[in-house]
Amino acid sequence: MHMNIIEIENLSHRFPDGTLGIDGINLTIQEGTFVVISGQNGSGKTTLLRHLNGLLLPDRGTVRLSGVSVSKDLVKARQIVGMVFQDSDSQIIGETVYDDVAFGPENLCLDRSEIKRRVYDALKAVGLTGLAEQRPHLLSGGEKRRLAIAGVLSMKPRVIVFDEPFSNLDYPGIRQLLEQVLSLHKAGRTIVVATHELEKVITHADHLVIMKDGTVVRDGLPDEMVKGVEAFGVREPYNSRPGMEIRSWLN
Amino acid sequence: MAELTAFRFRTGASLLHKLDVRFKLGFLVLISLAGLKAAPLALCVITFVLIAVIIDTRLPIKVILKELRYFLILLLFVFIARILTTPGSTLIQIMAVSVTREGIYDGSLVCWRLVIIITLGLLFVSTTRTSEIKAAVEWLLIPFPFFQGKRVATMMSLVMRFMPLILDQAKETADAQRARCVENRKNPLYRLRKFAIPVIRRIFESADKLAVAMEARCYSENRTDPWLSSGLKDWVALFVVICLCAMIILI
Amino acid sequence: MIIAEQLRMTVYASLLAALTAAGAYLAIPIGPVPIVLQNFFVFLSGLLLGSRWGFASVSVYILVGACGLPIFSIGRGGIGHIMGPTGGYLIGFLPAVYIIGLISEKGGQRVIFDIIAMVCGALLVYAFGVPWLYKVLAGKGMTLQKALFVGMYPFVPGDILKIAVAVPVAKALRPVIRVPGSGFRIPS
Repeated sequence: MHMNIIEIENLSHRFPDGTLGIDGINLTIQEGTFVVISGQNGSGKTTLLRHLNGLLLPDRGTVRLSGVSVSKDLVKARQIVGMVFQDSDSQIIGETVYDDVAFGPENLCLDRSEIKRRVYDALKAVGLTGLAEQRPHLLSGGEKRRLAIAGVLSMKPRVIVFDEPFSNLDYPGIRQLLEQVLSLHKAGRTIVVATHELEKVITHADHLVIMKDGTVVRDGLPDEMVKGVEAFGVREPYNSRPGMEIRSWLN
Repeated sequence: MAELTAFRFRTGASLLHKLDVRFKLGFLVLISLAGLKAAPLALCVITFVLIAVIIDTRLPIKVILKELRYFLILLLFVFIARILTTPGSTLIQIMAVSVTREGIYDGSLVCWRLVIIITLGLLFVSTTRTSEIKAAVEWLLIPFPFFQGKRVATMMSLVMRFMPLILDQAKETADAQRARCVENRKNPLYRLRKFAIPVIRRIFESADKLAVAMEARCYSENRTDPWLSSGLKDWVALFVVICLCAMIILI
Repeated sequence: MIIAEQLRMTVYASLLAALTAAGAYLAIPIGPVPIVLQNFFVFLSGLLLGSRWGFASVSVYILVGACGLPIFSIGRGGIGHIMGPTGGYLIGFLPAVYIIGLISEKGGQRVIFDIIAMVCGALLVYAFGVPWLYKVLAGKGMTLQKALFVGMYPFVPGDILKIAVAVPVAKALRPVIRVPGSGFRIPS
């Protein structure tokens, strides 16, 4: 029924200094799902994510986006998979909010009117329309994170990947971001969130992947797996314990 | 940061705001060059024109004076040097140093010219967006295949983007070191080294992240051209400026 | 990964241009003349980026300043500044960074060559800066001697200090930066 948007087969990557990043990963992600990838720091989450849009290329194995290998067409891959990085400060490129969001479409050589439309659509989707002329440096932490999302949205990706999206955000910031992510999901995009803070997203996920030492150790439905995660260095959401219902951070 | 934010673009609807950036850049160069050799009468004319333009742009005079204050100190220095080194009929004699009539005349003239050139620059920056300046540079470099205009434009915006980051980082590191009593160390060599290495290293790390983020958003040197347009008023302004310059040179 | 390398060097060169600009704001109040870090970063551009990219970095710095953005000393900018009394120093940065990069590359980044490179670079800056200063300030009585006293001698101790610091700083940062040819590095 659902089509596989991402297919990873036997993927391995070794860094030039000899350490093994990820090893023998097999994973398929269906279009329109909300996937959470968890695991302790250094378990290979970021390395895996960077293969999804060809920032890193596999030593062994393949990554396919709707059937086409990533290494065949990097530009296409980066359009399909939009990536929001952990550190929002260092992914801001433009001197104004508008310029920053326009950076991606400009690289795709779209014409000016199309760029303008896409920028305003993206800013509207994240609620930053009024700040188009603002300098990004002066935005709050939560606003910067939303700007990063807008920068990706303007390229019309089908998959949006978040690397540790909740780090350095305060409680209202986390709630806002979560709402944002959910509305993107509702609009039909595939969402991949890599985080070690499972409790913040787990209720909304429909696919959970646990990584340890560069391999996938668990892959399945969140409800079935959430009990055993502490063995892999991920804190079990506190309200998954007996008698409590796992609730969203939005309630 | 205060210095950085003061000398910058201010929104407005004056004639200068509406002119095409390429023309404005041309005017800046033309008038600056003509002004270098201007006689007192011509300087009066330019000054009146400038005052009229400043009134039209509605820039607060207080801000302009504040912008110019460091420059005025430099001017004072130039003025004194001129007074003391120009031979001629002596006005006042203090020990071996004599102040001459020619010196005062010469010094005032040089300072007047420099004030005009600096004010021109100030007007240009206050009425032009950074992105427009970038676009103009990109346009100007089109005839020179040796310089890749797009790359230069990207570098210019990166410079402006890095500035606040660097100053913040430097302040943070300086505070952290002060908290650990670095002031007890009198050796400037030691202090400069201990200051520079961590600051620069952290900034380079964030530059690395930026490069990856740019790649993830399909960075390419083949990008959409900047949007520039010129109209009748630009050509009229050009005519006026050329007349003005001709007059300055001829007087 | 050729494109990625080029992008990374573009970002680095911009970063050093920004550091040079920020260097004008970062004054260390030691001694009678405050030490401004501007030329320190010009030295570092040469040492860290090499002749070609170092030159690109300083060119962009001057270009951004020439367009009127406030990045020359104490927040000044504009063509007026280049034409002003201290403009010669700015122009002098260009040949200086190129020479520093060139000597450092040819010398295999050994300390002694780095020092020679920076001494040559610093002298080049004065070779442009002092005559320029002299020209702008010159009434008929201003001598080159006086120009040297105003425009060079007070800054020499600071320059020696900066060269002494640039050596260990370059040494500490070269492994972090990795100029092209040394392979692709994983961003952490």
